Amino acid sequence: MTQLKPRTEFRKWRFSALGLYIQGVKTALASRMAYRGDFIMSMFIMMIVEFSGPVITYIIYNNGAAFPGWGQYEVLLLQGIFLMSRGISFPFFMGIVWNTIGRVQEGTFDLLLIKPRSILLMSIVTAFDSEDLGKLIGGILVFRTALRHLPPQPLSHWISFIILFLFSVILMFGFALFMAGLGIVWIGNYRIYEIFMSVMDFGMYPKSIFTKTFQSILTYIIPVSLLASYPASALLGNVDKNVLLALLSSIVFLLLGLCFYFKIVRNYTSAGG
Amino acid sequence: MQSAVMKRGDNPPRFYKAVITATYKENFAYRNQMAVSIFVQPIYFLVHYFIWQAIFQIRDQVSGFTFDQMLLYFAVSSIVEFLNWDSSGHMLQRLIQTGQFITFQLRPVSHLYFSFCQKIGHRILAFLIEILPVMCFYILFGIRFVPAKPFWAVITLFLSFILSFLIRYTIGIFAFWFVKTDGVSRAVLLFTNICSGAFLPLNLFPAGFQKFLFYLPFQFVSYVPVRVFIGHYELAGMTMSIPRIVFLQAAMVGAMFLVNRALWYLGIKRFTGVGA
Repeated sequence: MTQLKPRTEFRKWRFSALGLYIQGVKTALASRMAYRGDFIMSMFIMMIVEFSGPVITYIIYNNGAAFPGWGQYEVLLLQGIFLMSRGISFPFFMGIVWNTIGRVQEGTFDLLLIKPRSILLMSIVTAFDSEDLGKLIGGILVFRTALRHLPPQPLSHWISFIILFLFSVILMFGFALFMAGLGIVWIGNYRIYEIFMSVMDFGMYPKSIFTKTFQSILTYIIPVSLLASYPASALLGNVDKNVLLALLSSIVFLLLGLCFYFKIVRNYTSAGG
Repeated sequence: MQSAVMKRGDNPPRFYKAVITATYKENFAYRNQMAVSIFVQPIYFLVHYFIWQAIFQIRDQVSGFTFDQMLLYFAVSSIVEFLNWDSSGHMLQRLIQTGQFITFQLRPVSHLYFSFCQKIGHRILAFLIEILPVMCFYILFGIRFVPAKPFWAVITLFLSFILSFLIRYTIGIFAFWFVKTDGVSRAVLLFTNICSGAFLPLNLFPAGFQKFLFYLPFQFVSYVPVRVFIGHYELAGMTMSIPRIVFLQAAMVGAMFLVNRALWYLGIKRFTGVGA
């Protein structure tokens, strides 16, 4: 009896949400390793792809041009934060989008629905995208390079940065929910990603370059400024008072995303066979 | 086998026309997917607009470009990108990976030309669904799509259409060696996008890198057509007349075709398939 207890504990942990997720990660890695040469190259390319934004910034500054009010390494810091936020969300949960689109198209989404766990959890567990870890490495490299060229920041700035960065990831999750929901309605359309990526592009540059109307849209309606502009400003000690409204907006965005996703799932009637 | 099929009246022009029509019709069923560009491209353009507007607030010119010229560059470059887009490399890789390529080996048709016709059919549809509405958006934004030399602009766009296809198709041929070429494809596509001037005008890059870019085929995919459209070519400190750079582009298309055929010849020997 005493020997069985640890085994029960292990079983309990293994079937917890985290345990399931780790199992999903292991399975995804194992299947991707079947073509490990391609995997390593894809991951490397994912990392290099992430440098395109910072390279544009470098070239702009190298030509003597600049974003008003922002130094080169401040912009690179912002872009590094943006890439880290993407680097966390894409491998760990953004995969629910392609997973949902693909499964709905094939009809295998139904198999997830009959599992005795939340459909959202199952969609995340089966969608770990190992190649996208390259994005995270790329983001960390840009962030680190920028930090080296900027003066050290006090602890209070770092704390505000970490809080805002967490909200940046939450916002990404909100986006993922909206896209996954759309993927159920808009069958087989992988270009949903492009819609999202294009909107996200606004987040890769300082908020101040946009017009006042766009700044308001990017802060209160689709709070893309939270992806990088606000966390970078917090780390540099320049955060403005609108940040609280942006945080509130991101929570509303996440809740709306959850409502949207589950409403679409409830209305889902199988499309495949 | 080939002659037997030809005798039945399936002459190549009719066959290729049928492929173009079939691809057009097939993709017409998924026109909504294509129409996503009508939403996406204006957003990308707006981002560029704000970036360059902010930059030009403190400078009148960047590497010889005024604000209006920079917007024209990005607008024409995006249209060229739409015209040139194709998935021939990916399709070929899928056929080789799944073994379905064997069915093409049994057909009396060159897969290269078959794939090129598919691209034509696909892009004709894209012209109506993606390109025209996006051009309308640009025109509303005050961008004037009037080429400096219309004749050369048409020639360069046509050559860039063929060259981009040859580059992507050549990447697909690597599947004969690697089976799965997603990594290689991504690498080459990224390299192509950077080196073709799709992200930024090439003359903004450091001088040494511009010289390197000058000798690669990628500038002929996007940078050269846009420059010909604008009416002035310059890279790595070298200026060239429009007919001369278009002639060089044609030579590059010829060279790329030879590379493609050589790789095909080597790759096809490695292919083995079971069943048909």
